Amino acid sequence: MTIAPAPRQVRSIRSRVLGRDRDQAKPDRPVLVLHDVTKQYPNGKLALREVDLVIPEGDFVFLVGPSGAGKSTLIKLLIRDELPTRGEVVLDGQDLAHLPRRQVPRMRRKIGIIFQDFKLLPTKTVWENVAFALEVTGTSRGQIRPAVDRVLALVGLTEQAEQVPSQLSGGEQQRTAIARALVHDPRLIIADEPTGNLDPLISWEIIQLLLRINELGVTVMMATHNAQVVTALRKRVVALEEGRVIRDEVGGAYHRED
Amino acid sequence: MSLAATATMVLMLLLLAGFWIIQTGLLAGLQFTEQKVEVVGYLETTATATQIATLQSEIAKMPEVSNVTYVDRDTALQRFRASMAAQGREDLTQYLDSNPLYGSLEVKLVDPTNFGTVGDALRADPIVRNVINIEDLVQRVLTVTDVLRTAGTVVLVIVAIIVLFIIVNTIRLAVVARAEEIEIMRLVGASDSFIRWPFVFDGAMVGLFGSLLTLGILAAAADPISGFMADFFRVLPLQFGSLTRDLVALVLGAGVGLGVLGSWLSVRTYLIR
Repeated sequence: MTIAPAPRQVRSIRSRVLGRDRDQAKPDRPVLVLHDVTKQYPNGKLALREVDLVIPEGDFVFLVGPSGAGKSTLIKLLIRDELPTRGEVVLDGQDLAHLPRRQVPRMRRKIGIIFQDFKLLPTKTVWENVAFALEVTGTSRGQIRPAVDRVLALVGLTEQAEQVPSQLSGGEQQRTAIARALVHDPRLIIADEPTGNLDPLISWEIIQLLLRINELGVTVMMATHNAQVVTALRKRVVALEEGRVIRDEVGGAYHRED
Repeated sequence: MSLAATATMVLMLLLLAGFWIIQTGLLAGLQFTEQKVEVVGYLETTATATQIATLQSEIAKMPEVSNVTYVDRDTALQRFRASMAAQGREDLTQYLDSNPLYGSLEVKLVDPTNFGTVGDALRADPIVRNVINIEDLVQRVLTVTDVLRTAGTVVLVIVAIIVLFIIVNTIRLAVVARAEEIEIMRLVGASDSFIRWPFVFDGAMVGLFGSLLTLGILAAAADPISGFMADFFRVLPLQFGSLTRDLVALVLGAGVGLGVLGSWLSVRTYLIR
């Protein structure tokens, strides 16, 4: 298995842009480690088999594979929507299986998640949607305002801050979702088919944005079917098939190149 | 939460309150009937006033007894004549030389099922000629009242369960409509209590508002209904003060309680993973 080197020096840049200093956090342990993870659903379906995966800080990983290969299950395990039948899922040094229920929300704040269908609240403005992610964690109003303004500037939505999702284009809605995922300064961004509902041009915009966020030091894991993007970018590619990791290569393409 | 939830809440609470009022009336009626059960001990004509007074106070001291009345022979005769006159029959007693009737002690009971003990106590005293054997009658009355009381309670419980399910399910619909919001809250790391609280508060508000609306409707309807049922209430010793108080407690308690319970249960299904 090959592992991309963790860009350590970018930490300070990230702290400066995202406005919070995390450098006192633990040293360079991987953001995410999956060890021998098997997931069998109650109906008997084996969704993941003996998956081993290490994602170091600052990595950009494409998660590829046909529908039903286990990408969604993997993401559910990461946000502890499901627990593995066997094996360990260790996020930021913490084994999720042994995490007490009360600690789950705190752990989820280390992850920012982005979906194909955006999952924005239709009655709230862009600004409120992003602020919502901080409000639910009990952040004070005084801290919310600058943090939201900062991420909206980062994703380029300062102008649209007072609009509601229905007034936005698909790309703008996804950028709102990215801002929301980013606002609580997560260790890991998980993007589940973020470009699935977008046309190719807008898709590229979203990918560029995710790359920029990654350059700021945030680890990004993106599940996608978009072969063109994966092949063009030559990032780390983890391919799943029938619940197994069949390929894990740095600088890979969407399809196997032998 | 929604207009539909509040409207359902009002209708269900009206149903519950209606059945509860009927049940209260039924219970009062049954109690009234049971109070009619009394044990009567006829006294020897030779009994002296002191003996009678002693027996009367002894019986009155028994915990099963609510009230003892002494009916002397003259009163008994007058009563007999009055009842004959009321039935339009000729008073045959006028042809008699002397009063043929016996004096009696009429004992009202706290609980009609205790008539046996009281009857035995009366029989034990030598001045008592005989005690009317009312066992059969009492048993029949008690069987009927027990059946009616049980049936009333069963119906009320069934109605309460129906109300519970309908209200909880209506609130569940309102929560399901916001499932995506809950989902998003979970994903951005909101704690369970943070997610739950607004829903429980909403449920309580729907319950409170629904209860107040229901009580308003009941208050507005109280006058015409009691006019309609005036005869019924005149016969029965219903205490309106406590009825109103209990009704307010029932409607408010059921409304707010079910509102909170419904929200709690509905949100819980999204929180437990």
